[in-house]
Amino acid sequence: MELSRRSFIKASAVSLAVAAAGALAGCAPQGGAPGGVTAAKSGTFKSVCRFCGTGCGVICEVKNGRLASVLGDPDNASNKGLNCIKGLHLAKILYGEDRLTKPLVRDDATTKGTTGGLREATWEEALDLVADKLKTAWEADKKRIAFWGSGQQPITEGYALAKFWKAGLLSNNIDPNARLCMASAVVAFMNVFQTDEPPGSYSDLDEADVFVTWGANMAEAHPVLYSRLTARKIAGAGVQHFDITTLKTRTSASADKVLVFRPGTDLAIANAISNYLIQNDLYDKQFVADHVQFKVGAENIGHAYEDGYDGSDVGKTVNDVTPVDFEAFAARMSTYTLDYAAELSGVAAADIEELARLFADPDKRIMSLWTMGVNQHTRGTWMNHCIYNIHLLAGKICKPGSGPFSLTGQPTACGTAREVGLFAHRLPADLVVNNPQHRRYTEAVWDLPSGYLDAIQDPGFHTIRIFREMSKGNIDFLWTASNNWAASLPNLTRFLGKSPEYQGVFKTFIVVNEVYPTLSTQYADVVLPAAMWVEREGQFGNAERRTAVFEKAVDPPGEAKWDVWIFLQVARRVLDGTQIGGAPAFDHLFGFIWDKDKDDFSGDDREINRRLFEEYRIFSNPSLKPAAAAINSNEGGQFDAGLKMENKQLAPYDVYLEHNGLTWPVREVNGTWLPTTWRFADGSQAEGFDEVGIAAYGKKGLAGNISFYKSAGQKPSAVFRPYEAPAEQPDDQYPFWLCTGRLLEQWHTGSMTRRVPELDRALPEALLDMNPEDCQRLGIKDGDLVRVTSRHGQFEIKASTARRTEPGPGTCFAPFFVEENLVNLAVEDYYCPLSKEPDYKKTCVRIEKA
Amino acid sequence: MSVMARIVKVAAGFVAGWQVLELLGEGGFLLRPPGAASEADLLARCVRCGKCALACPYHVVKAAPSVMGEHAGTPCIEAREGACRLCEDFPCVAACPTGALRDIAERSDVRMGVAVIDRELCIALRGMRCEVCYRVCPLKDEAVTIKYSLREGDDRHAVFEPVIHSDACVGCGLCVERCVISDPAVAIRIEPAGASPHA
Repeated sequence: MELSRRSFIKASAVSLAVAAAGALAGCAPQGGAPGGVTAAKSGTFKSVCRFCGTGCGVICEVKNGRLASVLGDPDNASNKGLNCIKGLHLAKILYGEDRLTKPLVRDDATTKGTTGGLREATWEEALDLVADKLKTAWEADKKRIAFWGSGQQPITEGYALAKFWKAGLLSNNIDPNARLCMASAVVAFMNVFQTDEPPGSYSDLDEADVFVTWGANMAEAHPVLYSRLTARKIAGAGVQHFDITTLKTRTSASADKVLVFRPGTDLAIANAISNYLIQNDLYDKQFVADHVQFKVGAENIGHAYEDGYDGSDVGKTVNDVTPVDFEAFAARMSTYTLDYAAELSGVAAADIEELARLFADPDKRIMSLWTMGVNQHTRGTWMNHCIYNIHLLAGKICKPGSGPFSLTGQPTACGTAREVGLFAHRLPADLVVNNPQHRRYTEAVWDLPSGYLDAIQDPGFHTIRIFREMSKGNIDFLWTASNNWAASLPNLTRFLGKSPEYQGVFKTFIVVNEVYPTLSTQYADVVLPAAMWVEREGQFGNAERRTAVFEKAVDPPGEAKWDVWIFLQVARRVLDGTQIGGAPAFDHLFGFIWDKDKDDFSGDDREINRRLFEEYRIFSNPSLKPAAAAINSNEGGQFDAGLKMENKQLAPYDVYLEHNGLTWPVREVNGTWLPTTWRFADGSQAEGFDEVGIAAYGKKGLAGNISFYKSAGQKPSAVFRPYEAPAEQPDDQYPFWLCTGRLLEQWHTGSMTRRVPELDRALPEALLDMNPEDCQRLGIKDGDLVRVTSRHGQFEIKASTARRTEPGPGTCFAPFFVEENLVNLAVEDYYCPLSKEPDYKKTCVRIEKA
Repeated sequence: MSVMARIVKVAAGFVAGWQVLELLGEGGFLLRPPGAASEADLLARCVRCGKCALACPYHVVKAAPSVMGEHAGTPCIEAREGACRLCEDFPCVAACPTGALRDIAERSDVRMGVAVIDRELCIALRGMRCEVCYRVCPLKDEAVTIKYSLREGDDRHAVFEPVIHSDACVGCGLCVERCVISDPAVAIRIEPAGASPHA
């Protein structure tokens, strides 16, 4: 009996386990029904994982109108059917027991910050209320409204929202949560290349000889991508991985060399490598002569301790740069000897030299990868610059296997937040509000009268400014979507009104589009239930410039609605009475997707997405609209130069439906749309090189067959950026560095993953990783509850010496996915002065047994 | 179904008492708190006073139910419901008045059992990025390490295989508690120390 029971289990084990987890390989997509108004009852649908920026392809299997399982897509080249355990359990994120299915209204603002106080309302009541509050605040003072968006809003949603807020409301007070993760990378991309996003792609992982992770725990935060890196290490002879970090992580565990540095001193390490190349005459001279211009920037720029920092004398200088010759650049860099960097950072000079020698080797292909350790940094933009400086001096960029690669943490931080222009200073496709030519171009695409967008020529409030102003009672209306600001923002003691001097959150009228109750809905005056992930059709753009469509697979539950529908219902009400060029503003902006008589979309999900995308695509395909084409080519000669908008060219919507995503620029060659794997590198477009872009705008025959055709003077900038100390340093009162971040099993604030029983089981609690010596000194045992206190606030959490991460003495780490241990109550809100991205990695704290 | 739930089912009275042990797991193994020298030694010394259970700060040490015959009232741990957390000061051992639990000075003295991975159920072996058992292990990089290999038929991905080292694994069961696979069975289990580390 025992034998037969066991053999039965063995026989059925694999198929059952895998089906239960949702990982049955070899299931070919069948297309299913197109993303219509009502989803098909059963079928399979192509999709993209909802979590990190890797962008794994998945297939949704629907049975009887319910998402039964989500399987890795074996046809997707970037994940080949694999997932991490978050992706494996995607189907369950839709079905938490407490999904929001009806609009909710709070009648009594004194109940904010509690789990009660919200009552059910009809859509009509909720929308009328939101529109009335927005319109009143907007008409009184445009500076007192704000929208906080997300790198999780699909592309067409972000695009429609940006158009509503920027062209409809003429407000720049809109910023995404990507400000908290990618802004430093964006500002550096624009400073160095004058175009956003990495020149290389994931394909570089397959060919590199050396990997350098800078402040990136890829093993946990980008699990499947790290599998690709690891495969290269196994398959390639002598492939090495250097992990440069402030504390050992699971990524360090498999690295060949781990360089643990004192927080903030990564700038000195990077500069020492650049200086080594220069001093030893080991930089790539031909590459530098052909491709690099040199600059020095403003220094001694202080920190954003005060709310008025941006407008202060020093705050106004942070973007200043001065062109210099190579000798002057080298002279500034010369301070950064190996010994000086070693003294500052605590890393052995010999270890820095070892890495510098690899960069000096012309035969080594080197890929730098970085995320939050570099970006969430009070000198985050500078640190991005320092990495580019090394790669530009070494000529290791835009070549297969060689390149600096900025990873992203959200599924469409690139595709939406960055590309459609959800930032306070941006317009779609890398355009910015304070450039007249960019405004004219945007007006041309949106059929606005010339000069119409001059009303938004000044950037609006960046994220921290929005919430600092709100905390002071200076924001009357705040709307958020696809984020959980009340858990993810830093300095929540201030922003959640837990400090007596900052009570604004209780006065601001707050609207939250959400799928589950979160800390943010506890502060909302109105909660609007939203469709989630594959409950509508959408598109993500991942870290390697890959735009991919995910199909609608199931209907949203209850009365939950697609965010675009919600935005347009409010826009229709608020813009009533506003005219653009003599026509009603709403009709002018959104008439192409809206049926006035039905007061609803004029097509199904697929059709609305297609129309929105086709309009958005004009930004990167100026030839589709003569007025845009004229400004792009500077036909009238009224601007300094053309815009080269095709550098980000996107394909027609229907082309994406036939592919597992395409990396832009996507070029039409003989009737076929071909992606670009390596931007600015000359070669066959069919093989992934930037043949069409270089033929149109670049030069041939330069070093490495590379042509940086989008950069000013066709040369990226190496900008000298010194080491300057972090905003806080450990002292007697606050002796520990607190670093926060993500772990593999849970994602961001846990609002989705904590509702998946398997993931909740796998990682049910947040722990403060501490060094055992520190614990012994403080009399803290593994598992003890401790109180963590900073200058900004405090939280309680259990201490751990189980080495999930391995902080050195004086350092500790906590993940931020658990609202019961709200680490952000204590995290500083000091930001990089250039990118305005706050530093979640270097708050100084003390730790006591609770 | 958890062991406890199965025991309850047994208690409902349709299986003979001798089958109880078989249902406990491979070979009738009961997971004991730290410090039990052997099953016979524990049965001889334990007076069923419950002090170890009371001392456990995580409330995972439970008294075996009355259907367990001679085991009834002795301390056991149902790892899937709540594993031993290997407290640094071992309050359960300290609380034992008879030495049924004894001789534990540090974690490496513990010998509750050894974890065994079911290679047919483990999704990490298929290339999925899981390795929950590795990351939760209080003795990670000693009791469990990751073996990296190329995924078969895929030159772009690696397999991150958790490997249990039976000499260092103490059998606390935290890997069993946290494993994401439960159907048709948990992909890792605790067996008596000395058993083969691979199924």
